[in-house]
Amino acid sequence: MQIPLNIDWQQILLHWLNLAILTGGLYFLLFKPVKQFMEKREAHYREMEEQAAGKLQEAERIQESYQQKLDQAGEEIHAARQKAQLAVQQSAEEQLAQAQKQAKQIVAQARAQAEHAKEQAMKESQRELKKLATEAAEKIAFRPDEDPFDQFLNLAEGGGAHEVR
Amino acid sequence: MKQHKKGLALWLAVVALLLAGSIFAGYHGRTETVQEAMRDAVLHNVNQIQFLGGKAVNPGLVSAFLVTAVLLLAALLLRIFVIPKFRLAPGKFQLALETVVGLFDNMAKTNSPHRNGFLGAYIFMAGAYIFVGTLFELLGLQAVTIGGHPITLPAPLSDVNAAIGLGVLSYLVILSGGIAGNGVKGIGKALKEFSLPISMSFRLFGALLSGLLVTELVYYFVNLSFILPVVVGVLFTLLHAIIQTYVLTMLTALYYGEVSEQEHKEKAKPEKG
Repeated sequence: MQIPLNIDWQQILLHWLNLAILTGGLYFLLFKPVKQFMEKREAHYREMEEQAAGKLQEAERIQESYQQKLDQAGEEIHAARQKAQLAVQQSAEEQLAQAQKQAKQIVAQARAQAEHAKEQAMKESQRELKKLATEAAEKIAFRPDEDPFDQFLNLAEGGGAHEVR
Repeated sequence: MKQHKKGLALWLAVVALLLAGSIFAGYHGRTETVQEAMRDAVLHNVNQIQFLGGKAVNPGLVSAFLVTAVLLLAALLLRIFVIPKFRLAPGKFQLALETVVGLFDNMAKTNSPHRNGFLGAYIFMAGAYIFVGTLFELLGLQAVTIGGHPITLPAPLSDVNAAIGLGVLSYLVILSGGIAGNGVKGIGKALKEFSLPISMSFRLFGALLSGLLVTELVYYFVNLSFILPVVVGVLFTLLHAIIQTYVLTMLTALYYGEVSEQEHKEKAKPEKG
């Protein structure tokens, strides 16, 4: 039987043989080695990327840890400052209270001294007054030529007669 | 500047001399008419070549083995001298090689994400074979027919047997993908596209044969053999080398992906009530 277009099965099989040889040859000589190299390079860059990502993660972790430490230190500083402020405030209040207490004591002492001085002065003045009065009374009482009663009366009336004399 | 003008004048003179010589050279007549030449380009029943001292075969088969030899030799040289020197930061040549391999590998991966190991290798081979085989006709290698006439070796795929061989082989590859992916169902899926081997075979044959016929026609007349071959020969050949490479590899990858895709059974949803 004549096949149209002179199709020849034997030649088709020979073409298949040719294509089979070409497929195997190109696969093992070119396609596979180039593809393997490309995959190797891809793996290499992926590994580098993973390493970089790992290092970045590690750096971020370290940064976070330092940040935590920094935050902790900040909190500690804040607490210490508050404590110090509290201590200073307490000390100031204590000193103020002590000063006020001292001031009160000084005022009380001063008041007591002043009271004492006043009493002393009063006593002194009373004593001097008594002394003066006694001296005056003695002066009056020891006028030998006059009657003491009359002298007293004269004095009580204003002392005119005595003055006249 | 003066030397430049001299060179230009010399080149023009050589071209004019060659043109005059070819036009006025004695013409010994043709052994076949243009109709016979065209008919033989399609049917290959006259100008056959003895293959390895045995059977008389179409010139396309000899071209096919030559193309394979050229490709394998190039691959061997690349494997020995170039690939071991590949670097992580590629040079221009390495980049070109990686681009070609990556192109077919990515085409396989994109169109058939589930199963693409063999597909990548196959479409790489088919692409290289179609592209280099189509450009092969530009070399104009000569052979002697069994009748003792000289003949220019054509592109392998301008032979209907080669086109059927590649088209049917591509279909078988698609079928194998269906079997590997879905078993018996895969065969059914692939058989649904029963017109595929015919369309792929005759698309290749038609495209390559049309190129061959145009070239035959142009070279049949000596007076058409100037300037015109640059357009019809080189540009058209380059163009349909690229187009046919893309079409066959893309179709093969696309159908392979379609038939090898595993079907997922949808779980029956419980009725709400």
